[in-house]
Amino acid sequence: MLKTLDVLGALHGYGIARRIEQISGDLLTLNQGTLYPVLLKLEQEGSIASDWGASENNRKARFYRLTKDGRKQLQAETRDWEQTAAIIERFFAVKAEDLK
Amino acid sequence: MRPVRRFWSRLSAWVWRRRNEDRLRAEVEEHLAMQTAEYIRDGLTPVEARRQAVLKFGAVEALKEDYRDQRGLPVMETLIQDTRQAIRRLRKSPAFTITTVATLALGIGATTSIFTLVHAVIFKSLAVAKPSELYRVGKETHCCVWGGYNQGDEFSIFSYDLYKHLRDNTKGFRELAAFQAGSWLIGVRRVGGTQVAQSLPGEFVSGNYFGMLGIQAQVGRTISTADDQSGATPVALMSYRLWTQKYNADFAVIGSVFSLNGKPFIIVGVTPAAFFGETLRSNPPDLFMPIATEPLIHSDGSLLRPPSTHWLDIIGRIEPGANAASIEAQMRVALKQWLRSHWGDMDENARLNLPQQTLYLSPGGAGITSMREAFEHWLQILMMVSGVVLLIVCANVANLMLVRGIERRQQTSLSVALGARPGRMVRQALTESVLLSLVGGTLGLLVASGVTSLILHFAFTNEAGVTSGALTTSISAPILAFAFAVSLITGIAFGIAPAWMAARVDPIEALRGAKRSTSRSGSLARKALVVMQAALSLVLLSASGLLTAALTNLESQDFGFEHEGRTVANIDPQLAGYKASQLSSLYQRIRESFTGIPGVSSVALCGYSPLSGDSWNDGIYVDGRPAPGPKDDNSSSFVRLTPGFLDTLGSPVLKGRGITEEDTSGSTHVAVVNEAFVKKFLKGEDPIGKRVGRSEIGASRQYEIVGVVKDVRYLTYNLDKPVGAFFYMPEAQYDTFPNRAFTEGDVRSHFLHDIVIRMRPGAVLNVADVRRALAAVDPNLPVISIRTMREQVSAQFTQQRLLARLTSFFGILSLVLASIGLYGVTAYNAGRRVNEIGVRMALGAGQRQVIALVLRGALGLVLLGLFVGVPMTLAAGRFLGSQVVRDEPLQPESQLVVRDRAGSRGGYVGVHSGVARQSHFALGSAQGGVRT
Repeated sequence: MLKTLDVLGALHGYGIARRIEQISGDLLTLNQGTLYPVLLKLEQEGSIASDWGASENNRKARFYRLTKDGRKQLQAETRDWEQTAAIIERFFAVKAEDLK
Repeated sequence: MRPVRRFWSRLSAWVWRRRNEDRLRAEVEEHLAMQTAEYIRDGLTPVEARRQAVLKFGAVEALKEDYRDQRGLPVMETLIQDTRQAIRRLRKSPAFTITTVATLALGIGATTSIFTLVHAVIFKSLAVAKPSELYRVGKETHCCVWGGYNQGDEFSIFSYDLYKHLRDNTKGFRELAAFQAGSWLIGVRRVGGTQVAQSLPGEFVSGNYFGMLGIQAQVGRTISTADDQSGATPVALMSYRLWTQKYNADFAVIGSVFSLNGKPFIIVGVTPAAFFGETLRSNPPDLFMPIATEPLIHSDGSLLRPPSTHWLDIIGRIEPGANAASIEAQMRVALKQWLRSHWGDMDENARLNLPQQTLYLSPGGAGITSMREAFEHWLQILMMVSGVVLLIVCANVANLMLVRGIERRQQTSLSVALGARPGRMVRQALTESVLLSLVGGTLGLLVASGVTSLILHFAFTNEAGVTSGALTTSISAPILAFAFAVSLITGIAFGIAPAWMAARVDPIEALRGAKRSTSRSGSLARKALVVMQAALSLVLLSASGLLTAALTNLESQDFGFEHEGRTVANIDPQLAGYKASQLSSLYQRIRESFTGIPGVSSVALCGYSPLSGDSWNDGIYVDGRPAPGPKDDNSSSFVRLTPGFLDTLGSPVLKGRGITEEDTSGSTHVAVVNEAFVKKFLKGEDPIGKRVGRSEIGASRQYEIVGVVKDVRYLTYNLDKPVGAFFYMPEAQYDTFPNRAFTEGDVRSHFLHDIVIRMRPGAVLNVADVRRALAAVDPNLPVISIRTMREQVSAQFTQQRLLARLTSFFGILSLVLASIGLYGVTAYNAGRRVNEIGVRMALGAGQRQVIALVLRGALGLVLLGLFVGVPMTLAAGRFLGSQVVRDEPLQPESQLVVRDRAGSRGGYVGVHSGVARQSHFALGSAQGGVRT
């Protein structure tokens, strides 16, 4: 979610939900409603901030954007993920003969 | 950092709940609108588009719930919800609520009030700067004057000379201050005022006393080192209590001249309101004077100069970081030095004992704590008793709650069936019980303050009539914390069982009729609670019976004199400035004047009357026998008296004669001894005509024993032991000793304090007559107190009486509570068995059989309770036996007839009373005029 905001900039809840669906190639079809509690948690932690703004069809919508803290967290999480992925990768790459 | 930030934002969200709810709604609405718009673009009909959007979004209510959980503080919210619900539920059953809250208020109130006393007497520090830096020299409490160079186990009371030596030869103390051990009454009158002299407690303190404690004067200044020099202008500091109560906080008092025992003193200031001197006692001093002015106040028999007259306590403030142990070692060396420098002045025993003489430092932050030692004992017992009451209260309330929980069973199972989590049900039940206990605790605080002031009133009534403020029992933070903690623990203790039951409710019950329930769970718990209550009540009741019986024994013991028709008037000729040479004629005039009061049959004076709390003590030397060894106990108490005293008191002379008019200053010096004296010093001999002496071996031919009297219970301590050796001497005869210090000391024993008045049968003494008769002798001689001998005797047992009464009260309270508990269980069980009973009756059971059936259950519980209670009672009896009655523990076979057993015991007493600690020091070869 943080990554989405990082790439697309400020976005409203619906936008985020759509974007996640698109990226995952509709593989991840979550209940869109569950998004909001997560957004709230992130906001409480100070990773994102939100403001009212006008959506593309001029409706009032709440826009979420990444804060400085959030960006830092994203970097940290990315690094963590890459490490984890790399480790797991190695496990899968290992073949029986390599260990001999 | 992140969780903290989250917590804050949740907290603020919880406070501003409303706005966020709107925000979520708006966002959801917006989301759905966008999704719908997109579906319409994809070609769906608007209605279908909306439906698909909502489907895709998921359950909105579940989301809201989730969102709320994320946003606010769900714990707080459910707590508030549960509290609201609990209040609603409690309001619906007022009878239950009132009973429970009242029960809890009594239990928590009783415990808190006892804790208030414990806190005031045991835990509190002095109201001085940094009490942890204060150290007292000495562990035990000596009072009030001690003679000689030998103090048994440790030096804990000091002469002025020894104090100066220690002060000047010890490093490590920033200040070492001395003050009088015990306070004495001083005749106080404002010069130029119209008030008559009043006797008030005063205390001599060294010039650095207030500086050492870090006490600033409330008004004016404190006593300084410059005031504590011989020849300095006599000054005094007044207590805040006296200043506000007697002088209306008049600023003109500061700087004005007061007459103290007839000598002019300038009042330089007023102590702070919270300061009551360094010693916790029921009559704190009202005047503080420099030690150097002591000879002015006590013109005859001054204590200041003789190096072997010990009358001062010492407390010092050590340098920050100084090591108390090394200071203690230093002081021991200094003490030995001082003792060796007085080698020539010592008697043989003191020289032999010199190597053993030592001293100890003890923490002085709480001041001198003889009162603590005296009261600790019975406060502990009361604490235990009130704890038991609280247990019973818990059991009782738990029982009521259980019954209530079962009545509500259907509702609970319905909630569970509708999806309530068991945890939530437990929390609900606990919230209700904690709420009840907190309300009970708040009311309990009111009960506590009432009970505490009642106890204080009974236990610490000041003889001088001025309200004692030394024990502050106002509700302070520690008390509040205690009451809160007790309430909380109580709430959880009695709530845990019903809560547990609530959690175990089977949802299927909701579908059945309530009366059809097959489950009998809970009835065992309730029965167990009733059994426990019955057992604890038995313990308390037998404890109170034991204490009451012990008290009755104490009060009805043979004191060796008559109580009826005797009155004691207390005076102090020293306050009125009398010199020793004037005393005999003063006493003669008093006797003549009092004999003129209508209804008086005889009048006599004595140093101290029986059980008045004071007497003299000295070492006895029998003519023709070697001096007792350093470890031998040769002490005996004595008083001086005027002719006719023993008759007036009603103490029979068993052999020989009493003190008569023939015993004048010129005749042979005589003594009348009690039976215990004969047993101790002249066993198996005919005491009449034997010669004995006191203070030193060189004076062993001083007195001729002319009579033996019955043992009189004179001392107010060791009431549980047989009466000790005692002798009486005529006031008219002044003793001379080879050692001049003893001759001077003897003078003080001639100041008689008590006038004993015996009335003719049926006559009543008028207090105004007493005052008039004394005023006719000398208007400047105030009557300090007047009380009947019966009052004086029963005053010895105030603590025991209070203990017995409180325990009885608690016992009855617990019995009532246990009865309520038993009633509840019996009524509930009978109610549950209505169907069963109906069937039984239909099958031919008679009314009597049904009643027997119900009663059997109830009686069974009571019997089981008694059965369980007996071992507990035995343990409690053993404890009380060893702690209170100081006798052999109660024997098991006697336990069930506690009253009879206790009633058959002879006269003995339990708790030490008042300033009884010095009794330990009366042993050993005491020398010099020792006033105990």
